[in-house]
Amino acid sequence: MKSTYRLSRMIILFILFSLSMGCSPAAKDRIADDSWTRISMMANLHTAQVPAETIELLLEEKTNTRLDIQWIPDGSYDAKMYASLATGTLPKALYLKNAASFSSMISEIRSGLFWEIGPYLDSFPNLSLLKQEVLDNIRVDGKLYALYQERALARQGVIYRKDWADKLGLGPPETLEDLYMMLKKFTLEDPDGNGRNDTIGLTDRSDLIYGAFKSIASYHGVPNEWGFVEDVGTIKLKPEFMFQEFKDTLDFFRRLHEEGLINKDFPVTSKADQQELLIQGKAGVYIGAMGDVVSLEARLQEVNPDASLDVHNRVNGPKGPKIWASSGYGTVVLFPKSAISTEEELLKILEFYDQLMSPEAANLIYWGLEDTHYKVVDGKAATLGTHNQKDKDVKPYQALMVGGFSTIPNMLVPYYNLEVKEKAERLIVDNEQFLVYDPTVSLTSETFNIKGNRIMESIHSAVYKYILGMIDEEGFDRAVEVWLKEGGQQIIHEFNASYLKKQAH
Amino acid sequence: MSETVIKAAPNPETKKKSQESGLLKRMIKNRSIYFMILPGLLYFVIFKYIPMSGLVIAFQNYQPYLGIMGSPWVGLEHFQRLFSEPLFFNILSNTLILFFINLLFYFPVPIILALMLNEVRINFFKRFVQTLVYVPHFMSWVIIVSITFVMLSMDRGIINELFVMMGFEKINFLMSTEWFRPMYVLQVIWREAGWGTIIYLAAMAAIDPGLYEASRIDGASRMRQIWHITLPSIRSVIVVLLILKIGDVLELGFEHIYLLLNSMNREVAEIFDTYVYTAGLKQGQFSFSTAVGFFKSVIGLILVMLANWLSKKAGEEGIY
Repeated sequence: MKSTYRLSRMIILFILFSLSMGCSPAAKDRIADDSWTRISMMANLHTAQVPAETIELLLEEKTNTRLDIQWIPDGSYDAKMYASLATGTLPKALYLKNAASFSSMISEIRSGLFWEIGPYLDSFPNLSLLKQEVLDNIRVDGKLYALYQERALARQGVIYRKDWADKLGLGPPETLEDLYMMLKKFTLEDPDGNGRNDTIGLTDRSDLIYGAFKSIASYHGVPNEWGFVEDVGTIKLKPEFMFQEFKDTLDFFRRLHEEGLINKDFPVTSKADQQELLIQGKAGVYIGAMGDVVSLEARLQEVNPDASLDVHNRVNGPKGPKIWASSGYGTVVLFPKSAISTEEELLKILEFYDQLMSPEAANLIYWGLEDTHYKVVDGKAATLGTHNQKDKDVKPYQALMVGGFSTIPNMLVPYYNLEVKEKAERLIVDNEQFLVYDPTVSLTSETFNIKGNRIMESIHSAVYKYILGMIDEEGFDRAVEVWLKEGGQQIIHEFNASYLKKQAH
Repeated sequence: MSETVIKAAPNPETKKKSQESGLLKRMIKNRSIYFMILPGLLYFVIFKYIPMSGLVIAFQNYQPYLGIMGSPWVGLEHFQRLFSEPLFFNILSNTLILFFINLLFYFPVPIILALMLNEVRINFFKRFVQTLVYVPHFMSWVIIVSITFVMLSMDRGIINELFVMMGFEKINFLMSTEWFRPMYVLQVIWREAGWGTIIYLAAMAAIDPGLYEASRIDGASRMRQIWHITLPSIRSVIVVLLILKIGDVLELGFEHIYLLLNSMNREVAEIFDTYVYTAGLKQGQFSFSTAVGFFKSVIGLILVMLANWLSKKAGEEGIY
């Protein structure tokens, strides 16, 4: 009897303890007075752990704002976002992680769930610096609801093992044929000189957009998602996979797979595993965001100090060099009416974002603390400390940023002690010479919003199956037929109608 | 039994009435005992029955900002869309096929394993093996699926390397439609078979040892004992577990299947749960995915009632 009493007392104590734990964030001693604006936000966490609070506290002080940030791991961000939308628990500032999330939110935006902020922007000195061309991409029916975080228009390019290429007497891949030869020689001619046939050319992952596929498709001259075709005297929009160039890309990949020049499991390979193949010296070419070359090279050299990487962007195909363009924004921020009740409050929150775009605040969330995380060299920021330290303290806060280097005056630009990183940045700018835009960005199709993603799955599956040799061209055409029947025809029709309507204006 | 009661009563009508008032009287008399079931009852009402009213959004065009009260009523539109989607029969058949595979190949395994364990003489060894077979149950699907990935990969996966060494062709387990189902059920068996033996072993422990002794005197072999004593004694447990298993029909393990799913095996691996997740939470179509989930529950209910009816027909107890 006595022991049960003791047990129940312990349980009660435990419950009380855990309750007080749960309450502790609110009781956190922060210098906050009531005049401070309070902003709750949901942000995308790209690192493994929630960041240390140092920077958050400094930012709060600088902007007279109490921040309440809910960090959601990248993998489950969209699901969590819809869950809070459905349960009516949206924060005051809702970050959408990319253009795809934004386009799936359009019907909610139309229905008036979020504040329209267009008319207010001009009254804020920093927010008014956001670029009109990019803002145009995120307008819904001509109205502006969101702030955006800057992204380079095209970051994709080829990252390859410089030491392997030098050893085999290869230059940078100037053409698709060069690229193919490089992959072939990296596979067959023992570039690591260990006498064993244990290397492959390309390392890729289960991502047809940010992996290698879409970039190589661009090199082949495939349009970006949608392209124009001449159809009895008129110009019509058609999806990319109905173009011959798309099939050429499929054949290219099929050949890579047949000859073993690409990792055989790429349709189920994660990004981490993909990078690991390069880092461990198993693969020699990585096609993706060129900026990644820094971290890839650093990790590669931990394994093999003699290894080095180089980047290259102009790969000539039948139509010269081409690269697909993103819409110039990454994350966008929306302001739910359910959380922000008055215009006055909205203006206060916009004021916070205006301050966030000041060089001091932008440097703080992007670079961290001076002399701890970075130091200024020739007016540029050079990072200090380890990658780990930066991941823990600073990197998560970069997700909060609005604007970027080209829109925030006097924000510190990176100082590179690595030649290759500088080259990567230069090539990203160079990419803007031959961009391929997605013509449907500013067009609308109701059917596409409802089931566009779902019916695309059959196309994705057919792409993989074709590459792996499980279906032939006829099989692929059948998948396209299925797509047309399940709503694709309707989507084509709606996008073309929307295009004509836009032309008429 | 009940027949004799009715025969004994002179007038069944009055008898029933007095029974009812008797029940009420008893309830008042023993109110403190009845009071004790209140928390359990409240739990079910608050956490199980009230949330069910949310199913109403399956018949609406639910918009989060309008709420359940304000969203427009569309009747059976979402169900019509579901039944007219070519994907529907694909998902339905995938779900049912996986369920039957599960029932056919997984369900007997714990019974066989329990029978084998029950025959082990040395207690220490029995305990040891029992503990070993429980362990996989505590591993998350993420780990199990990752291990499988590493082992079955085409690039340097140990199984495929072994095949090559023995002179066979590599098999693309992870991306094939043929290997998905065997892979699924083997993983389920690997993880759950040991854990599933617990209830059977408990039932076997309750069997009167006298029965075995008597049969041994009659010269029954070990196999005969299992067939004539052990199995009949645990039959009712098997039936109850079977009904419960059928009740979970459509709980094929969302997490597990979602992890195994990729664009190559989607046509055999997409089940209701994964579809609800992608359509509902990842693409924000709340009403439609609720309709899908609703439909799935209806199938589950029908199957449980069927199984219960069958078990009663067969002279077993059933669960209600």
